[in-house]
Amino acid sequence: MLEQRFREILEAAPDAILQVDGEGRIIVLNRAAEDMFGYTREELLGQPVEVLIPEELRRRHDAHRMHYSQHPMTRAMGSGLTLEGVRKDGSRFPVEISLSPSHSPEGFRVTAIIRDTTERRLSEERLRRVQEEYTQRLAETNAELEMTNRELERANRLKTEFLASMSHELRTPLHTIIGFSELLAEELEGPLNEKQRRFVQHIHKDSLHLLELINDILDISKIEAGRLELRREAFDFAALVAESLASVRALAEAKSQVVEAELDVPTAVDADRLRIKQVLVNLLSNAIKFTPEGGRIRVEANVQDSSVAVSVSDNGIGIPAEEQEFIFDKFHQVGATTKGIREGTGLGLAITKRLVEEHGGTIRVESELQKGSTFVFTLPIAAG
Amino acid sequence: MKKVLVADDKAPGRELVRMVLEKSGYEVFEASDGEQALIEARSVHPDLIILDIHMPGLDGFGVIERLRKEPGFAATPIIALTASAMMGDRERAMAAGFTGYITKPIRLGALRAEVERLLA
Repeated sequence: MLEQRFREILEAAPDAILQVDGEGRIIVLNRAAEDMFGYTREELLGQPVEVLIPEELRRRHDAHRMHYSQHPMTRAMGSGLTLEGVRKDGSRFPVEISLSPSHSPEGFRVTAIIRDTTERRLSEERLRRVQEEYTQRLAETNAELEMTNRELERANRLKTEFLASMSHELRTPLHTIIGFSELLAEELEGPLNEKQRRFVQHIHKDSLHLLELINDILDISKIEAGRLELRREAFDFAALVAESLASVRALAEAKSQVVEAELDVPTAVDADRLRIKQVLVNLLSNAIKFTPEGGRIRVEANVQDSSVAVSVSDNGIGIPAEEQEFIFDKFHQVGATTKGIREGTGLGLAITKRLVEEHGGTIRVESELQKGSTFVFTLPIAAG
Repeated sequence: MKKVLVADDKAPGRELVRMVLEKSGYEVFEASDGEQALIEARSVHPDLIILDIHMPGLDGFGVIERLRKEPGFAATPIIALTASAMMGDRERAMAAGFTGYITKPIRLGALRAEVERLLA
């Protein structure tokens, strides 16, 4: 009864199971072994087990078997060896084999369980090919990206060169327009009537504005090309603020605004004086522009650790919360709420931010609609 | 009367400088390119030269290089006038031997002040 059960298990096993005697002759095999090697049970019983392995290995296998009978031990499946089985028709297939020795009253026995690994090898091979293909595709994509990058860099350089040469070409006729309108306005060539004087002033004022736009475009192109060279020096920050306030005072007075400064900076800062003046004047002009008549504009500065924090605040129309993160972007102009004030390139704050960052500082804005805006930037203090 | 030579390939540019400087009491001579600037300079011996950098043919740098080699022009004040506003241009001009540097578009006050300073 029990033996019947074992026989059923043996016959149902998907792996080939063989037992060989002390001389290496097959004495037991299951159905899977018949199917796997293409022999009938009758053909294999009593045959040396070597008929199932490649011819060139048979002699060596003999020796292996002798050695194994003297040092019998259980060998697990798939322990590192690539083995092959041979079918009756001579075809070969990859196998994994486990061996277990046993001693019966009839003598030494070895049980071998053999698994056909053809399918698994194929899967492994397919997996390897898929991996290779992906690696290859990844490499190709990387190469394409690199090429795109190079093209972008080249396009960017061409753009910068174009802007620089445009700037030169635009400044040449502006030289004539600004110069002659200024000359006419001086009335050295004869007096102008009131209308003529106004017309000339329009020309002069707008040509100067045009010059400002060209300068902004040139600045941003220089910064983007990494060609902005800072001339750092230690200078008196309070004097620079006074100078900046002086250069916007006329603008503020035209709108009856109060501009004041409260500085708590005993130290000199280490920066490009002209560029920092550009930053201050830009922030101050914006404040004046976006603050109604009679408003108040304030510059404050104080030392924080190894830097100076400078703030320019106003009580003007403010910046909508949803626009605050974009105001330092190029060509962004504050829209909806400031209709009629749009003028300029939309480059001022982008340039300001870059200039501050080139100095190793940061800039941020706090603003509330109808209450006002505060821009704060930092600058390193001069060493020593 | 002090003599000023203005070299610029654009006629309006020359006229502008002439108008401003004549009103200030200088005698103004004109040249429309680099070669002509050399000829005029050698014949009138100006007290000051205003040279446009970008001129076809011999440019401002070419003119000053030749003039500075001549004993008569070794110390003559020469102002560079240029529409280029790239960083480093001023340094390059000063290294080439220019005594002053003015960018286009000029502001009349700045031009008068620079000329006055160099001829004082």
